[in-house]
Amino acid sequence: MIRAASKLRDIKAINPWQRLLVLAMAVFTIAPFAPLIIQSLAFRWAWPNILPTVWWFEQRQRSPFPLAWDYVFSPSSRVVEATINTLGIGITVTLLCLVICLPAARVLGQRNFRGKSQLEFLIALPLLLPEAAIGIALLMIFIALDLAGTYIGVIIVHLIPTIPYMARTLTSVYQGHGTDAEDHARVLGANRRQVFFRVTLPMILPGVIAGCLFTFLVSTNLFLLTFFIGQGHIVTLPTLLFAKISGGALDATGAGIALIASIPGIILLIFTDRFIRNYPLAE
Amino acid sequence: MKKAKSLTRQMLLASTLAVVSWSGAVQAEDAPGMFRSEFLKGNLGWPEVTAKARAEGTVNFYYWGGSDIINLWIDQVATPALAAEGVTLNPVRITSTKDTVDVVIAELAAGRREEAGSVDLVWVNGENFFSLKQQNALWGAFADRLPNSVNFEWDESDPRSLLNLRDFGVETGLQEMPWSGEQYVCSVNRAHVPVDQTPATFAQLKTYLEANPGKFTYVKPPHYLGNTFVQSVLYAHNPDGNGAEPYQKNFDELGSAELARLMEPGIEYLKSLEPLLLGGAAGNPRYPENSDELDNLFLNSEVHFDCKFGVFANHNGLITGTYPEQAEEMIFPVGNMIKNKNYLTVPLNSPHPAAALVAINYFSSVDAQASKLQAAGMPVGLDLWRLNDEEVAEVVAAAPPHYGITQQELDDNIAPDTNASLVDVIEATWLAVIERKDNKPLADIVAQVSGELNN
Amino acid sequence: MKRTASPAFMQNLRDVLEVTPLLVVLLGLFGGALLLGLLQSFGYAPWFGINEFPTTRYFERLWLSSDFWFSLGLTLYYGFAATLIGLVISVPLSIALSKRFKGSRLFSALIRLPLMVPYTVGIALALVMLGNGGLLSRISAGLGLIDDPSQFVQILKTHGGCGIILVYVWKQVPFMTLNLSAVLARAGDDTVEAAMVLGANSRQIFWRVTLPQIMPGIVSASLICFAFNIGAFEAPLILGGGYPDTLPVLAWRYFQDSNYAFQLQGMAVVVSLALVSGLFLAAYLQGYRRYERARGRV
Repeated sequence: MIRAASKLRDIKAINPWQRLLVLAMAVFTIAPFAPLIIQSLAFRWAWPNILPTVWWFEQRQRSPFPLAWDYVFSPSSRVVEATINTLGIGITVTLLCLVICLPAARVLGQRNFRGKSQLEFLIALPLLLPEAAIGIALLMIFIALDLAGTYIGVIIVHLIPTIPYMARTLTSVYQGHGTDAEDHARVLGANRRQVFFRVTLPMILPGVIAGCLFTFLVSTNLFLLTFFIGQGHIVTLPTLLFAKISGGALDATGAGIALIASIPGIILLIFTDRFIRNYPLAE
Repeated sequence: MKKAKSLTRQMLLASTLAVVSWSGAVQAEDAPGMFRSEFLKGNLGWPEVTAKARAEGTVNFYYWGGSDIINLWIDQVATPALAAEGVTLNPVRITSTKDTVDVVIAELAAGRREEAGSVDLVWVNGENFFSLKQQNALWGAFADRLPNSVNFEWDESDPRSLLNLRDFGVETGLQEMPWSGEQYVCSVNRAHVPVDQTPATFAQLKTYLEANPGKFTYVKPPHYLGNTFVQSVLYAHNPDGNGAEPYQKNFDELGSAELARLMEPGIEYLKSLEPLLLGGAAGNPRYPENSDELDNLFLNSEVHFDCKFGVFANHNGLITGTYPEQAEEMIFPVGNMIKNKNYLTVPLNSPHPAAALVAINYFSSVDAQASKLQAAGMPVGLDLWRLNDEEVAEVVAAAPPHYGITQQELDDNIAPDTNASLVDVIEATWLAVIERKDNKPLADIVAQVSGELNN
Repeated sequence: MKRTASPAFMQNLRDVLEVTPLLVVLLGLFGGALLLGLLQSFGYAPWFGINEFPTTRYFERLWLSSDFWFSLGLTLYYGFAATLIGLVISVPLSIALSKRFKGSRLFSALIRLPLMVPYTVGIALALVMLGNGGLLSRISAGLGLIDDPSQFVQILKTHGGCGIILVYVWKQVPFMTLNLSAVLARAGDDTVEAAMVLGANSRQIFWRVTLPQIMPGIVSASLICFAFNIGAFEAPLILGGGYPDTLPVLAWRYFQDSNYAFQLQGMAVVVSLALVSGLFLAAYLQGYRRYERARGRV
């Protein structure tokens, strides 16, 4: 008994190699942001200087036009427009996706029928086919339908990679809690609306929030489909950043935009940690 | 069990319906086009145009948005000035003008004709103008009909009108308005290259690179900056010694065999330069995709030279921190510094043609051109001899400084652009010989690529 | 569960109605895209005035050029290398993060950051760190290892593609780790504990207990990442070695051409890409099923 208890402690103990791995990965993940921040504050930063020779705030007074962060925060940078577009599209896509997936998830999670596994595979399929293939094939149709370069077109195309995540998260939620509670409520005389809002919703709410977060995250980070279908008219943070760095060089304003584009994710990371940890994305 | 089966069947039915509901056909529309035909016939005065422009309200201006200082000028100067004329400028920033040309052509192919398109105004030149012209996608001959047309030389008998009437050797047919006159200028990093070692010819460049391997590269064709470098090499290596002259003819006039003969020495030079370029020693010469990448290489001393279109590129690079501190301009290649103009044009299916004309008229004014020169370092597109003294003084005062050379030296080394019908062939030849390492005789390659292009 | 016929029928009808929106979107959009892509690659594009259906000439022209096969190889290489490296890091990382240690929540949050930001941010980081003029090159110069940027090892802009692979790994390790962690958490410690009590050493526990437990997570996460990697466009375009490009970049270049015939050619590239991806998917799932069967799970 005593031996088993000491082993039990061993299971949860971390060994030095694992500690090193965690540390190394944290450095690999976070460290590159340091030069990005420096670049965003630089005016002239040439090889082989580890720090800029002229900083943006030193040049600021002399420059006839806004530099670095001054440019990023000026209307000319389109950062505000891109942020509004990114968030607006993200929220719309999330709500739309929820409306589409919630009823289907109940069926998938609680009912058994022939072809269920095929249906599940179909739902996963958009994740398993190359995005470029989907994007280019759709672009042709969307041009013909006049949807290319419109918000509606972009929102529709965002549904493709988000539906799998939303559908799976919600399905696993419904699977988890069976139908007993609703049956009870119905037996006790609750009508359908009451059952949904008083019984079902509170039970599935954490899962719904997690699904919405994933969907929002996927949508706000999506570049390729927005770029193809948006035709350059719909500017979001990822496409704005792409236009800045597609030349293969990063200047101060590009670095500033990259940092701005990271902010929504960082905020989500801080506030939603516990929701995301409890639900696997894939499977 | 039976119920499950019927469920599946119904799902299948639903899915079939969904697939069937797609229709790819696009309906042709009957376009108005009244304004266009009346204006081109000369039946409309300028007040009528401005009135229609105010009624249209907006102008969708598609332009290369890769320069912060140009973006700022458009947003802070041009937009308010046009707003004062009752027209809202809607600047659409693009990364490649070709994309916009494709949009216009695709719209026309889809039957969206007069006033039914999405693009009102494009900043364009060379190949892209040629494509629009070839596809009959241009609005019409407006350039000499605007109030500010007086700032430009349109008289064909005056040789100085050439750059207003021909764009890469292609007749503009007054279907585009000059916006800016640029020249292909190289900068040199004086931190590495002393004045007496600065190359002035391609042979001297090669000598320099033999001593300092890897310290040069040029933007990759088909980017126009790369095409221009290749063209200046071809001019300088013309076996007949008459430089740019034969390259003014169009492809049909010149013929593929003659073009190949003219190109041979230049292409040989480019091949021999490859191992001396950035990364060339390792057998993997690196051609930057665009000027941003080249500027970055220049800033980081990966190369010692930076060649691109920009009479004031050196100045712009210094004030934006994208050029090294000791960057200076150089005269290279002597006598073959290609100069051309870039233009504003209106596509046939412009939804707001009157507003587009009003915008072009504004962009052609002395005030707008001078402020663009000063704020964005873009040379003027208008012709100084058409202006009065006061206006000339305004333009001269607005010009940014040069570094290490004078405007006169730049003017003394001008070469014309290559005919647009040859540009495609030359670029395809470069791609075949340099990029794909095609070893066939040059004449065969030129014949093959020109054949493919004409299909 | 015996019910009268009518409520059961109503229930089924309700089920169908509730699944319908999802099916319409998936089949309409996704299926529609696939169908039209396929038709176009066989020469059906009446809206451009092209209708040669069915022709295989776009595929012939593509498959007969050696550049296509090089592009395909390049695409698969980036996809495989990044997925494999990602897995090699994520499996031990997820196990390490399942342990209890000081700051474990902070570290797992930090490591999750790339999941939350766009790929383009990862590309920006690669540009500023890894280029010949980038920070690593500058640090090497500061240490006196090199005295010219060209002496620094070329990471970006080569067909070696280390830059592309690093961006994929940076972005996907959190995704894989998160999935594996969730699977691990669900599996619990009971089996591991039992194995320990029975005297298994840590290597045996990893290969015999933990790895089989997280296998489903490994399969699904690596499939998703692999499919993404071979279909991504921005990283190879910006960080890649240029001609010959990966297939998505090649397709995009074709598609950008004003000559419509090239757009059909681009569609043939896209269909080829989907085909290859589908083949790998099928083979992988087949292999996995065999593995499961061998373990007696199915």
